[in-house]
Amino acid sequence: MKGGAQMKRACTAILFAALTAGMGLIGADKPLVIRGGRVVPVSGPEIADGAVLIEGGKIVAIGKADEVSVPAGAEVFDAKGGWILPGLVECLASIGLGDRYGAGEGDEVSDPVTAGLRILDGLDPFDKRFEQAARAGTTTLMIAPGRANVIGARTVVVKPRGATAEEMVLLEPAGVKLTLGEGPKAAFGAKGRLPGTRMGSAYVVRKALLDASEYARKRKDHEVAVAAAKGKKGAVPPPAPPRSLDLEPLADLLDGKLTAFVECHRADDIRTALRLVDEFRFRAVLVGATEAYKSAGEIAKRGIPVVVGAMGIGSKRVETKDVSLANAAVLVKAGIKTAIAAEDALGLGAQEELALSAGLAVKGGLDRATALRAVTLTAAEILGVGARVGSLEPGKDADVVVLSGDPFDYRTRVVRVFIDGRAVRVPEPLRSPRP
Amino acid sequence: MIMKRIAAAGAALVLVLALTAAEDVTAVVGARVLTGTGVEIENGTVLIEGGRIKAVGKAGEVPVPAGARVVDAAGRVITPGLVDSHSHLGLGPSGGVTEDNETSNPVTPELRIVDSIHPEGEGPDEFQFRRALAEGVTTVVARPGSGNVIGGQSAVLKLRGGTVDDMVILFPADMKMALGRKGAYAAKGVMPTTKMGAAYLVRKALVEAAEYGQALERYDGEKAKNPKAAPPARDLGKEALLKVVRREIPVHIHVSSSDDIMTAVRLADEFKFLRLSLGHAVEAYKVAGELARRGVIVVVGPQMTAYDDEGRLVNLAGYLADKGVPVDIMTDADVVQQSFLRYQAAVAVKYGMDPRQALRSITLNPARTMGLEGRIGSLEPGKDADLVVFDGDPFDVATRALTVFIDGRVVFEAGKESK
Repeated sequence: MKGGAQMKRACTAILFAALTAGMGLIGADKPLVIRGGRVVPVSGPEIADGAVLIEGGKIVAIGKADEVSVPAGAEVFDAKGGWILPGLVECLASIGLGDRYGAGEGDEVSDPVTAGLRILDGLDPFDKRFEQAARAGTTTLMIAPGRANVIGARTVVVKPRGATAEEMVLLEPAGVKLTLGEGPKAAFGAKGRLPGTRMGSAYVVRKALLDASEYARKRKDHEVAVAAAKGKKGAVPPPAPPRSLDLEPLADLLDGKLTAFVECHRADDIRTALRLVDEFRFRAVLVGATEAYKSAGEIAKRGIPVVVGAMGIGSKRVETKDVSLANAAVLVKAGIKTAIAAEDALGLGAQEELALSAGLAVKGGLDRATALRAVTLTAAEILGVGARVGSLEPGKDADVVVLSGDPFDYRTRVVRVFIDGRAVRVPEPLRSPRP
Repeated sequence: MIMKRIAAAGAALVLVLALTAAEDVTAVVGARVLTGTGVEIENGTVLIEGGRIKAVGKAGEVPVPAGARVVDAAGRVITPGLVDSHSHLGLGPSGGVTEDNETSNPVTPELRIVDSIHPEGEGPDEFQFRRALAEGVTTVVARPGSGNVIGGQSAVLKLRGGTVDDMVILFPADMKMALGRKGAYAAKGVMPTTKMGAAYLVRKALVEAAEYGQALERYDGEKAKNPKAAPPARDLGKEALLKVVRREIPVHIHVSSSDDIMTAVRLADEFKFLRLSLGHAVEAYKVAGELARRGVIVVVGPQMTAYDDEGRLVNLAGYLADKGVPVDIMTDADVVQQSFLRYQAAVAVKYGMDPRQALRSITLNPARTMGLEGRIGSLEPGKDADLVVFDGDPFDVATRALTVFIDGRVVFEAGKESK
């Protein structure tokens, strides 16, 4: 056990050295032990007086404080009775895509179908909101286009650290973003363009996916022909079919290499999403899903995960008016893998208050452990990065949040955040002496 | 005989009166009472009579009259009905076509918000009043939007009754203005395309209103001498602004940056506003000393935190309160839903605001802002019996409102709500 852990440690150290060299980070980190608090690994039972050992940016061991050895020269962080949790995972954010109040970089509104685009190419690592999210305990985020395009750019999963998009990336492409309902109607229909209706949006998706399936078939035929030619002497492999940047990601979607994150809110839009999944058999995640509780059985039957977006904090749009705090609870009860995203709103809906959004789902009937999982491990799994982040387990990235208490208690504050075992710089809040 | 009859009738009358009085008395007992003035009473009794608070105190100190309706609130928490001093409830969803901005003219003091409010709401706005009530909000200040430099006249509403007229408890409550560059007009090439343009429009309107007032006064003087004297032509806008000039109503100004905040202060100094409250005022923390010195009220929200130039988190409400600035907390409904008012305050508490101060920011302070502190905002004898029974800490996201009273009547009861 110990030997294995040491081997693992050595391997991860080497791996990390290679990684840091690639990322341009300087210097080797000392081992770090976080202890003196309640460790909540999410993937396993809580440890009342626990400790987490971190080396080379990875979690090496977790356990009771007296069972986790402190290596020589290790730094020790005392959680002082707080809660030690995995970093939170945000499933849907637009950070880095232009100023909140300025022109956004997330929606390429010249065409309803823009699968050829990559969010990676529009991402600003110096957007201060990344740092702010990190300081609030969110250590992984999926950055996705808004809801203008029916088929938008490919999404990216990042960690909120690094000076270039490449340094930030955890997974790219993470998926394709689709939007049904009011978004595309407002962006295109208002200009007299397709889609101006819900059936128009569904048609746009079907047409694009039919074109993509044709493309996928040609791609496959070519691969088969190339493989066949390889075996034969003197045989000339056929020329590759022309490459289409627009169809390639959709062909990948149909081949099961990518996930579609389908934003839909109203019950009828959710059923349209299910109809498209039934027809084209792609891997989908429903996002936003305001009225998912009205179709929980149908979603569960297909094994489709859901990212619950709106908690009803911010202004209601026509398609989010029937928002319910019970949404996540109903979905989980139906057996649906459910994550919770922060609502794009102020106050409790701010990115910084992701944990309290999950607390609202608890108010709606979700059990606390599942709610916490919905903003950590379940979210990571839905994004396809569950092997790297989302829980405190040996071998996983050392993304750790130390809170002063219960994550669903409004009085709880973030004490310290570690990403890859490194502390996030948190300036003291601005204070005024009381008069 | 006759005397006897009169005596009997009198006795019967007294009996009837006593019965009505007893029936009209409600005692909410056993709860932890947060009065909104900073006082907390364990195992307290709130006695309600005739729609008003008769007494508040410890269980033994407030006698409950025989025949009173007793509401057992043991283990519960009672607060005053929550007051939001900046809301656009009933004016349409902020994403869609709203009824709060008349963008045909940047100066519209003549507009009255009561003429735009739909008590039931429409589309996504539907049922917002009832939802807000179910979360303990009993009073809101409905304001025109910030699209215009002078937006119009605000109203204070209680969330009960079927029509706006049933709901209004104060109108005109104050004059709504907005400083800063106005995008809508800049795009049309109409003043204000600059910040100084906005300030000019306010000054011009107030100067003209003052002159209108002088003309009215002259007319009053002439009328005494000459009954046939012609009154000045009635001007609805100047008439409304005259109330500002004559210090009959306060002013509420939408601002964001510290320079616009100081422009608002400059206007208040020049025209001697009865009272100035600033809405949003995200950068108020940069000039907190100036605001505290003048007693300028800041209505914080919907944004509750900001980051300063050094990247430090600023707890907007808590910081200003610590500096001695009177602070209200708002939702700006429906930018944040009206029902989330207490969670706006919870975010301020999270980042260090004193919880009693935070509660006051959604009860007594906004009542003061509107000049209604004699009537609502705290649990004190003589005030309207607007109160909320919560099943726990009102700032906790898990906490629910169980019973809500307005004017002593139960207007919401958990489990008995109809959609």
